[in-house]
Amino acid sequence: MRDREVTMAEREKSDQKEDMERAPSRIDAVPEERLIRALMNTFPEAITGFTKLRDGFVRAKLDRRELFKVCKFLRDELGFEHFSMISAVEYDDRFEIVYHITSYQNKLLIELITRTPKDDPSVDSVASIWGGANWQERESYDLMGIRFNGHPNLERILLPKDYTFHPLRKDFKG
Amino acid sequence: MKDREDPSAGQAIAFHSKDFLKWCDEVLEGVLRRSPVGSGLDYITKDFFNWATRNSLYFLHFGIMCCALEMAVASAPRFDQQRFGIIPRSSPRQCDVLLVNGPVSKKLKPVLRRLYDQMPEPKWVIAMGECAISGGPFYNSYSVVPGVDQFIPVDIYIPGCPARPEALIDGFLKLQVMIKENRKGLLTGK
Amino acid sequence: MWINMGPQHPMTHGLWNLRVKVDGETIVDAQPEVGYLHRGIEKLCEGKTYPQIIPLADRLCYGSSLTWSHLYCMAVEDLMKVEVPERAEYIRVLTIEMQRIVSHLMWLAAYAGDLGLGVGFVYTMREREVFLDLFQSLTGARITYNFPRIGGVAHDLPQNFERDTLRAITFFEGRLKEYEDLFEGSKIFMMRNVGVGILKKEDAINLGVTGPSLRASGVTYDLRKDLPYSVYEEMDFRVATHKDCDCYARYRVRMDEMWESCQIMKQALKKMPEGKWRIVAPRNAPVGTGLARVEDPRGEGMIYIVGDGSDKPYRVKIRSPIFVTVSAAPKMLIGYKLADVVAIMGGLDMCIGETDR
Repeated sequence: MRDREVTMAEREKSDQKEDMERAPSRIDAVPEERLIRALMNTFPEAITGFTKLRDGFVRAKLDRRELFKVCKFLRDELGFEHFSMISAVEYDDRFEIVYHITSYQNKLLIELITRTPKDDPSVDSVASIWGGANWQERESYDLMGIRFNGHPNLERILLPKDYTFHPLRKDFKG
Repeated sequence: MKDREDPSAGQAIAFHSKDFLKWCDEVLEGVLRRSPVGSGLDYITKDFFNWATRNSLYFLHFGIMCCALEMAVASAPRFDQQRFGIIPRSSPRQCDVLLVNGPVSKKLKPVLRRLYDQMPEPKWVIAMGECAISGGPFYNSYSVVPGVDQFIPVDIYIPGCPARPEALIDGFLKLQVMIKENRKGLLTGK
Repeated sequence: MWINMGPQHPMTHGLWNLRVKVDGETIVDAQPEVGYLHRGIEKLCEGKTYPQIIPLADRLCYGSSLTWSHLYCMAVEDLMKVEVPERAEYIRVLTIEMQRIVSHLMWLAAYAGDLGLGVGFVYTMREREVFLDLFQSLTGARITYNFPRIGGVAHDLPQNFERDTLRAITFFEGRLKEYEDLFEGSKIFMMRNVGVGILKKEDAINLGVTGPSLRASGVTYDLRKDLPYSVYEEMDFRVATHKDCDCYARYRVRMDEMWESCQIMKQALKKMPEGKWRIVAPRNAPVGTGLARVEDPRGEGMIYIVGDGSDKPYRVKIRSPIFVTVSAAPKMLIGYKLADVVAIMGGLDMCIGETDR
């Protein structure tokens, strides 16, 4: 019994070693390609429309229902430790929420664009993944009115607490 | 009971605050103020106290925006406003001048009004920079009050964006001239 | 018991409120509150043409205003796909590094004054005037310059600017050594800084802290070296880091950065080519987006612009480094005494203009 277990473990180990030896020729040396391939393999329907804007800068469109899982994957597996910016843009028929996330190790910046319908501007909060997203999401809520589900403290931050408008909306004439 | 009915009995007594103020007015200050002794004292000391007030204008250490940097630099060795007696103080209870040096947002408006109310008389207000005078580059913003004189009476306006430290010192000197012209006695207020 | 420190408080350089919950003298919880200087710049930008926004971008962070107007011009150039001439890039780098020195000197003046070293305030302000005179001969103003333009800079360097700048740099480098001896020789300054306000490396990265505070926690990341923009690739300089994560490390990083800025300025003056300093950019921007990032003296600043084909932007989004760093302040404050608040919050070099926009 014991001999068989050892042999199985050794076989698994040698399989892994073979995979690793094969890996460099399979995955390209360019970090942007590696990133795109990893995301396409793990979330084939959620992330679409990859564009490489310039060296180290990749843009992709993201389905808002998979946002939390994608962000967790980015931080844990792909080494995107720094949350840079979250912007909210209002168009005629939708809201677009743009996430910029940086990886210090690989020197990459990814831009994820999420769409929400006009009558339900809400997405999941990523404040539990990156602490730096906490205040930035509060600011998006304050100025544009986007609700972040699961945020620990979604309150106004820049305007007085009893203000009733969201000033950056296009229908607010200040 | 007897003591409270007859406060000038000459014994050690305790007062309610309202009664104490009434007693002061009747026995000490009010008498002085209404009698010729008061106006005589004022006539003698008016110029001296006025000289002391205008040569030691303490302003509140309150920086809002870019003009606050010029306010800080005015205390630096190159411009040196301390040779005129102008020193920043931290508490509004110890200040003569409220120097407003930036745009006042709607969240800041009650704070500034409260600081102004906490300053004791005599007090003056200087509006430094375009943002305090009229809102500056942000005059048409939803969140900026266009000018601090909408809710606080202003004595001196210093234009500039940002106002140079020399302009700030010139503003203080003009305030000194203004204080000299409006000399008032401390007791009678005339 | 909750104590309110601010918005009017001599410690808070700028308009913000810090509510600390104390148990005796030890801080148990902290809540920073910002928003007293909110001017609605992002909304104001939507009603102005692209060149009209440059003075507004100056007034975002008035401590280092050139960096922000340059950042805005870089974002618009990314949107309009405009190439900036090389001489303009070198002038930009020269002025940005001079602005970095001026901003760090202002921080040092306020920091030293708060910690009791009044002589530090006097000396650093005097040094700052030397560089402000240079800026005045170049742009005409002392704090908010309105100098960059979309497609270059406003005008060329004046006569004798190189000679005066080199003289100022030589003078300043000698004084910098004097300040290090002055501050580090003061026992009280060292006691109030060493071991105070520790922010570990993983917390710093996760909470989004950037700039000198991040480099003081041991992370060697500087946008000028790792994702170079403008002509920083041609410049040879060291990234200043420190491995203790306390207030002394942040002070040390900024002093080293001032030194490195002097070296970059000398190289920029030597390598500057002749040529045009500005090209004319188109009036209308195409439909699309533009993004620019820059290493501000306080951290990483970003501007994201959405253009819609007209001569006014559709949306301007500004990422301010101090906005995110202040949200990490409770992590640095809990467990220390009330008197350490001055050293910790002062060491972050807060400029409320960019926090509140």
